[in-house]
Amino acid sequence: MSKIVDPKEFSRESREPLIKIKLEDLLKLEGLKEEPPIKDPPAAWTQRYDFTLDGHAAVGIPIPKNEEEKRVLVEKFLKGLEKDLSYEGNWTFAQQFKLSLDYCVKCGACEEACPIYTASGKQNIYSPLYRSEILRRVYRKHFTTAGKLFGTLVTGDIDENWQLITRLIELSYRCNICRRCAQVCPIGIDNGLIAREIRKIASQELGIAPKELHEKGTVLQLKVGSTTGMNPEGFKKIVKMMEEDIESKTGLRIKIPVDEKGADILLIHNAGEFLSWPENPEAYAIIFEKAGLSWTLSSEPVGYDSVNYGVWYDDIQLARIAKKHVEIAHKLGVKRIVVGECGHATKALVVTAERLLTKENYIPRESVIPILAEIVDKGKLDLDPLKNDFPVTLHDPCNIVRLSGIVEPQRKILKKIAPRFREMEPHGVCNYCCGGGSGFAIIHSYNFDQWKNKVASRMKVKQILDAFRQELNDGSFKYVCAPCSNCKGEIRDFISHYKLWDKFRINYGGLAELVVNAMNEVKNPFIQKDEFH
Amino acid sequence: MVVNYPGEFEVNGKKIVIDEDGFLQNPEAWDEKVAEWIAINIEGIAQLTERHWKLIRYLRKYWETYGVCPPIKILLKETGETLESIYELFPDGPAHGACKVAGAPKPTGCV
Repeated sequence: MSKIVDPKEFSRESREPLIKIKLEDLLKLEGLKEEPPIKDPPAAWTQRYDFTLDGHAAVGIPIPKNEEEKRVLVEKFLKGLEKDLSYEGNWTFAQQFKLSLDYCVKCGACEEACPIYTASGKQNIYSPLYRSEILRRVYRKHFTTAGKLFGTLVTGDIDENWQLITRLIELSYRCNICRRCAQVCPIGIDNGLIAREIRKIASQELGIAPKELHEKGTVLQLKVGSTTGMNPEGFKKIVKMMEEDIESKTGLRIKIPVDEKGADILLIHNAGEFLSWPENPEAYAIIFEKAGLSWTLSSEPVGYDSVNYGVWYDDIQLARIAKKHVEIAHKLGVKRIVVGECGHATKALVVTAERLLTKENYIPRESVIPILAEIVDKGKLDLDPLKNDFPVTLHDPCNIVRLSGIVEPQRKILKKIAPRFREMEPHGVCNYCCGGGSGFAIIHSYNFDQWKNKVASRMKVKQILDAFRQELNDGSFKYVCAPCSNCKGEIRDFISHYKLWDKFRINYGGLAELVVNAMNEVKNPFIQKDEFH
Repeated sequence: MVVNYPGEFEVNGKKIVIDEDGFLQNPEAWDEKVAEWIAINIEGIAQLTERHWKLIRYLRKYWETYGVCPPIKILLKETGETLESIYELFPDGPAHGACKVAGAPKPTGCV
């Protein structure tokens, strides 16, 4: 049975978690007979770090050693919250943040929309409403006149001690920021934004963030050029490998343009593609060459990695990286930046950075997906859809679809090149997150992978099993098309966890690979049906 | 697994820091003695042969030069190994076995 945790309990000092994740509570997965069990975290972790939310940790906040450390945690959080509510202190999101805190009518529409809440078996602490309510009580108590005058009558019971702060920060990393809740809210409250603002206060004011996002993320990217650690020489070496790989796989000799001044387009891929899925940037090199586009990659540090993890947790890091991307584009003299198949990078550079990139910083920016659709639609490639004669379903990355409004171009392509394409239900702007959203795909600290696989990705696993219901056990090769690097990483991880490749031959990959696989000019299959990676 | 990690250990007079997945967190402390220690205590490989060393030295140099471990394709091409033979030498595979012994930190970014 799922457990109802009263907000008053949220500040209870204890080493026991508020809830425990149990298989019997979770959303049922039809078609799967068994799944790995849930393990408790080792004592070596729980003695040092705060696991008291749900027995898992994404951030792993060290347990304060003395009263002074506890006091500082609370004081800095409240100060950060005050700053975040001011227009000077939060030029990006203060207005939405304040409105979202002030006007909730608690109708509960957001709860029903949330895949994490639903997949967890309706654990109330995962409800978008619950997380926001904890913060709202603190906010009303300290920063509203009514709260100061009438106390708990208007604030609800709340004790903002250190334990509440550490649990709340950890709870801000139990939301994928998919913003499905914001879409159904009748008055437009954005609970995803509230989760992100909590993360932002933690990072900017308390110096608390998952190391994969900050230290090994934005800091590493700004220092060496990529969150993967890859330096410009490493990037150039892989470009050479991709050229050789294209030739040996397709027979096509293609020169991949790097640092070509004056090209129309600067194409920036997520650098994870070069290391884990080079067939995706290879496919774009083939398609852009055949379509006759004027384009280039960049080998400048940060110029070959579109990622911007700041979008998940920190506005300062977000701004630094976005600015760097634009500087590189201006230096090359390109007309526009095109972001490859990566959802959060599209959100960061194409949408969120709009407020930053004014005047001399301005440059047009767009996602690669509509460009690909136009190439296919205008018949610039000779395509035979029967070459993709296997079941295909489409995963909608939240940041591409719900956030950026790019819904139809990818469908237009698939309808043309994949005769056995079928939608997941629901899809389009009503899609469910892969479970990797808002940085989860790359956070592997402590036992967070277990929580992701069991809870965050569960709804997507169900959708994929349902989409292939007819062919599930017939041994045929199946393809989950996911035009986003982070989604691919998460899908790969849960396919391994639930053994969907071994059991059902469910594989995954990007969108451009399917296009190249359908090209008549490419004689050998571009998509390897016997390989999972 | 012979030792419990995460934790700090001393190898041949050097302090090494191992993270919760068994990767070296201070890669600058790496030397061939550290490689042997990781192989034995974390990867359970009792004896490193010349073929192990060829891979370890290649990966170490790649990581030091390019800041990252190579994609599988480059690794296989430049060492002449196959994926299967790498798994025979390092049962946890190229990333979680061989790169770990070569002292590269845990992979980061969207990989």
